[in-house]
Amino acid sequence: MSQGRMLTFNIFRYDPQEPGDKPKMVKYQLEEAPGMTVFIALNMLREQQDPSLQFDFVCRAGICGSCAMVINGMPTLACRTLTSKYPKGEITLMPLPGFELIGDLSVNTGKFMREIAERLKLWLHPNEQDSDIHRLEAPMSPEEAAKLYELERCVECGVCVSACATKQMRDTFVGAVGLMKIARFELDSRDQRSAEDFYHVIGNQDGVFGCMTLLGCQDNCPKDLPHMQQIAYLRRKMAVTLV
Amino acid sequence: MNVKSLLSHHNHYASLGSPWSAKADKVQSVTGVMLGCFLLAHLHFESSILLGKEAFFHVVQFLEGGMFSSTGHGFPVVTKVFSIFIMAVVIIHAAVALRRFPAQLGQWRALRRHMHGINHKDSHAWFWQLVTGFILFFLAPVHIFTMITNPEIGPHLSAERVYHANAWLLYILLLPAVVIHAMIGLYRVAVKWGFTHNRAGLRKVAKVLIVYLMVIGLLSLISYMFIGQELTLPVTPYVP
Repeated sequence: MSQGRMLTFNIFRYDPQEPGDKPKMVKYQLEEAPGMTVFIALNMLREQQDPSLQFDFVCRAGICGSCAMVINGMPTLACRTLTSKYPKGEITLMPLPGFELIGDLSVNTGKFMREIAERLKLWLHPNEQDSDIHRLEAPMSPEEAAKLYELERCVECGVCVSACATKQMRDTFVGAVGLMKIARFELDSRDQRSAEDFYHVIGNQDGVFGCMTLLGCQDNCPKDLPHMQQIAYLRRKMAVTLV
Repeated sequence: MNVKSLLSHHNHYASLGSPWSAKADKVQSVTGVMLGCFLLAHLHFESSILLGKEAFFHVVQFLEGGMFSSTGHGFPVVTKVFSIFIMAVVIIHAAVALRRFPAQLGQWRALRRHMHGINHKDSHAWFWQLVTGFILFFLAPVHIFTMITNPEIGPHLSAERVYHANAWLLYILLLPAVVIHAMIGLYRVAVKWGFTHNRAGLRKVAKVLIVYLMVIGLLSLISYMFIGQELTLPVTPYVP
């Protein structure tokens, strides 16, 4: 079997738990294998070269959203990024900016997602009839269900938050993930919240009117979610809500 | 009223959205589109000098309402009034667009750090829109104020302004700033409100327009320089 090329990884290393540790970039070399992803490479580096290397993963298949990181300047999922994508064989890995750093490439996206869900009340608010468990739930049209499923594909990886310069400048901005989830409940006929209710949540500088349409979310989302269309939809909807 | 009710009132008002958030966003887009469209027309009108002095003369007479005077000559006061209107639109646009500026040092550093770490073309385009917007705070009012105080336009009068009054120095800085700001801005308004989903096509149109407007703007500026060079002071207005 022919030998693969040698890959060079520049990896951000910093453990906030370790007293005296300072952020640094550490270089690793690894032989490339066919079909190798950045995620596979990281596991090999951890197994063979440095067991202290911290990064997150669960599913290895772009479903859990845990392995998001900045790969050569692009926030994306490590498990869906082939090393063959980089002809020079040099790969720089940074943790997602905008989140609490756990260590090295591992960040606490869960904390952010929970906070945003609580702040924006990102759960179904059923009308009184649907709250009655003794009644049959009203059927949903397949078209509406398809629309909701499309937006439900979000894996909360945090890429849209890291790719958004607006969010980096304004910490309280809800980001594309918050707006996408609001759009999901706004489209849901079972949710009793009116446009005015949603306006009071996202009709401000931290919500849809704070979005400057830089579209880092749209261009980097590993699930190809229609952020641009959804934010434009919310903006148009909210713009005529309180007049 | 006890502490609990005060707290609940506070939370209630804090969570309420203001209609001004939507209004500010709409006003920014509407005034931006007005100014962008005005710029497209403006640069074409003033570039009519490339077709000769007579062409520019007729364009000016037409825009100054020459058809309403018995002599066919326009009224410079039209330019004055229109300039005041444009100034007002610029001020409103600047006032609402200020919301977007990274006014605090920490925000500016976050933006620079982000641009350094993340490769993203549209974010970089916005950065240039921000820089040019900042430049326009100072350059645009100078130009518009000149047109309010000295609204006389014509092949010789404009050339005198450009060459002898050294307005070329202002225009050479104003032209790239306003063209880049306006074309990226028009592109952004279109995608922001979802007028089009063809982003790649629109981006190409914006790029082509930036180059095209810079070329016609620069060429006409050079024309005015040449015309100005040949003029003897005091300047007599051009008559075909």
